[in-house]
Amino acid sequence: MNLPRAESALAATSSGIVALLVLPPLAAVALAGAGAGFAPIREPGVVANTLLFGVAATAASLAVGGSLALALAPGVPGRATLERLTVMPLYLTPLLTAMGWNWLASPKSGLINLILHAVFGPWATINVISPTGVILVSALAMAPLPFLLISDALRGLDPSLIEAARVHGGSRRLVFCRITAPLLLPAALASALLLGVQTIGMFSVPAVLGLPAGFNVATTEIFQLLENYPPRIADATAWGMLLLAISIALTVAQSALLGRRSFVTITGKTSRPAASKPMAGRARALLAMAYIALATVLPLAALLWAAISLFVPADLKLMQFTSQHFSFVLFGYPKTWLAAGNSLLLGMLTASVVCGLGLAVSWVVLHGRGRGRSILDQLSMTPLSVPAMVFALGLLWVYVRVPLPIYGTILVLLIAYATHYLPFGVRTTNAALRQLHPELEEAARVAGASWSRAIGRITLPLVQPTMLAAWILLFVMAMQEVSSSILLYTSRSIVLSVAVFDLWENGNPSDVAALGFVQLAISFVVVTLVLVIRGRRALT
Amino acid sequence: MTTLAHVSGVRGAVSLDALSLSHGSVPAVRGVSFLAAPREVLTLLGPSGCGKTTTLRAIAGLETPQHGRIMIDGRAVYDASCRINLPPEQRGLSMVFQSYAIWPHMTVAENVAFGLRARGVGKARLHESVRRCLDLVGLGALADRPATRLSGGQQQRVALARSIAGDPGVILLDEPLSNLDAQLRLAMRTELRALQRRLGLTAIYVTHDQEEALALSDQVAVMREGTIEQIGTPQEIHASPCSRFVAEFMGVRNVIPCQVIPHGGGVLALLPDGTKLQARGPIPTGPVCVCFRPISVQIRTGPDGGRPAVVSAAAYLGDLMQYELQAGDLSICARSLPRDDLREGATVYWSVPPEACFLVSA
Repeated sequence: MNLPRAESALAATSSGIVALLVLPPLAAVALAGAGAGFAPIREPGVVANTLLFGVAATAASLAVGGSLALALAPGVPGRATLERLTVMPLYLTPLLTAMGWNWLASPKSGLINLILHAVFGPWATINVISPTGVILVSALAMAPLPFLLISDALRGLDPSLIEAARVHGGSRRLVFCRITAPLLLPAALASALLLGVQTIGMFSVPAVLGLPAGFNVATTEIFQLLENYPPRIADATAWGMLLLAISIALTVAQSALLGRRSFVTITGKTSRPAASKPMAGRARALLAMAYIALATVLPLAALLWAAISLFVPADLKLMQFTSQHFSFVLFGYPKTWLAAGNSLLLGMLTASVVCGLGLAVSWVVLHGRGRGRSILDQLSMTPLSVPAMVFALGLLWVYVRVPLPIYGTILVLLIAYATHYLPFGVRTTNAALRQLHPELEEAARVAGASWSRAIGRITLPLVQPTMLAAWILLFVMAMQEVSSSILLYTSRSIVLSVAVFDLWENGNPSDVAALGFVQLAISFVVVTLVLVIRGRRALT
Repeated sequence: MTTLAHVSGVRGAVSLDALSLSHGSVPAVRGVSFLAAPREVLTLLGPSGCGKTTTLRAIAGLETPQHGRIMIDGRAVYDASCRINLPPEQRGLSMVFQSYAIWPHMTVAENVAFGLRARGVGKARLHESVRRCLDLVGLGALADRPATRLSGGQQQRVALARSIAGDPGVILLDEPLSNLDAQLRLAMRTELRALQRRLGLTAIYVTHDQEEALALSDQVAVMREGTIEQIGTPQEIHASPCSRFVAEFMGVRNVIPCQVIPHGGGVLALLPDGTKLQARGPIPTGPVCVCFRPISVQIRTGPDGGRPAVVSAAAYLGDLMQYELQAGDLSICARSLPRDDLREGATVYWSVPPEACFLVSA
């Protein structure tokens, strides 16, 4: 096929970059692990914990996110606001949610327990430093993922499918079991896969709430193997290979399950306001508010409380407020500004690289004419089904051996972030480009514009609003990345989330809270600045 | 059909009494009343946004009205004054949706069986009913096919089979033919009418296609802005529209504002350009328009009694020709069998028989 030169250059370059990002780390983990196999894994208890955590947190998160998606139906009072608040944990990070819950419900000094002890006596204790705590807090932190996927599926559902079932004699409950739930199954399975990979690869919540309780999972095991001297990279890689194997098994299982029920949801007219009773609407809104309180408001409030109290008291009457924690992290703690600078730079670079690469890949996949487009698509979506920590392990292997002077710089982190968030960039730009009719571009070509001019003057301006929203979310997510940063950082390339965790391990708990707030504040300021400069509102 | 029990005389009767429904502050249905007798097809006809689909959905229980009453089989399923509002599944209706709403995760037979299962029909009877219904719509061979692997026409038949499976007295149809291509639409129209007669169903039918409404219905209710503008048999609606809106909607192309002068037994319509047309009564109150169909216009080349006009455009419609006639400011649309003597630019003489001219309120 005779492709225009600029077009084939774009296809070749983007394919090359994606292959270079995705394949070497995976190959490294597979090859390095292949020598010893799973032999270095000598803790069957940790394997069991990982699986228990993965299954339980996935199920709990799916239940919470799915219920919220179903509850926030059209007609629920304040629906738009509640939806926006429900996805807040995405911006908050599981690390801060976990720390917030630690201050809320650690057995001795948790705020909730202090109140419970004062009212009911010392027997009334909620202990979040436990396997159950790890599972539930993870589920709270990750519920926005299934919420978004299942809400999307609900929106795409032709409402007359449900109405037809009601008219033909189905009660609400029967219609839910026989029609709604089966139609949502593909979205639920996709959520389950995503959650499964995210939970077994999650580091922050098990590290904050699990380690003190002796609840060790694969990610915390990898972290400890590498943190102690001498780092046992081979053993850590075996664990990485285990995570990779579980991820692959999950992906295979999902496509096997979906393969047999491959139906396209028929999209019909936009949904009409459902005739739901006002009481039911209010109960639904309350459910969403309860989630928002547990997942966002309470942890944030606890964080703030910890950041401004002089010390965490055993008795609420001894509370004293101070700004010393903020002044310490801002002026006394040497890592703050270095980490903040690195995080800011990484956040912006990651967001820009991923948006650009995502746009290029999507364009090639959707509008290009070359062969191998579906391989490029698959390859760019691979990081979605592999835990970030596995990629980080692979990168460690590659860059420790390859004589490139980038190990120990933020460039390694940038590569890890770009790989990890690439699927997000591809999905978002894909959706944006899909809405553009190819004829818009073709009309420009017919009117005499060159290929690059058509892209620059027609396509890019039209996808710009979506790209801005994607850029902001990517920036915020990159600002908070923990799982791969914790393996790849050095004293020069430390980032804020690692600094927070570092302080958590070695410092004053109140200082951690203050630093967590500084991290949130920086994200907030940058996002606000970007929105003000671009003159656009809302991430919708 | 022995299985279709006609338990009582009221089975299948549907009546609406001053039904009103608003979406927020926007009124969608305003005081609609009608009575559909058992085994009758009543069509709600009107342009989009006239409230016809909302009325149908209110009967189904998919939308909640604010005022009025809905009776099915002599039983109130919605009554604002008695606070009765039965959920859709307790109204004993069935419905064919515009999008067909075929459940994509089920086979054809499972789609048809859903309502029977929901109402607790036993296995043996269920299989028997499903097979009978699929045979009735000519889909017996496709029972086990996944519902996603069907053409539009087949989906439409599945929707129909599903709606007659529960042996309902009343079937609601929301523009069921609008997604089919023209040829299939005509065939399905005939089939639908035959099936309805055969099963003795009462049907409430929603459409914006006046031809479909005339061909299918026993009663046509023309709706406009949430109210029924005129209700009657297809013949009544076609021959004597009560308003300019109904007349134009029923394909009367010549609707001309006029003044009325009583004249002997009939009426003289005085057109703005001074032309006088003899018309039949009655005379509506208020400002009026004189109406006549294009097919009623007689065109001659000689001036015996006709009024002069110039053929400004001629369009070939297949069986008929359509001529636009211009006489000063007055435009007349006429249709006739193709004629060689009526070329564009030719001067002709037109007239309308008094019995084909009628008056409507403007």
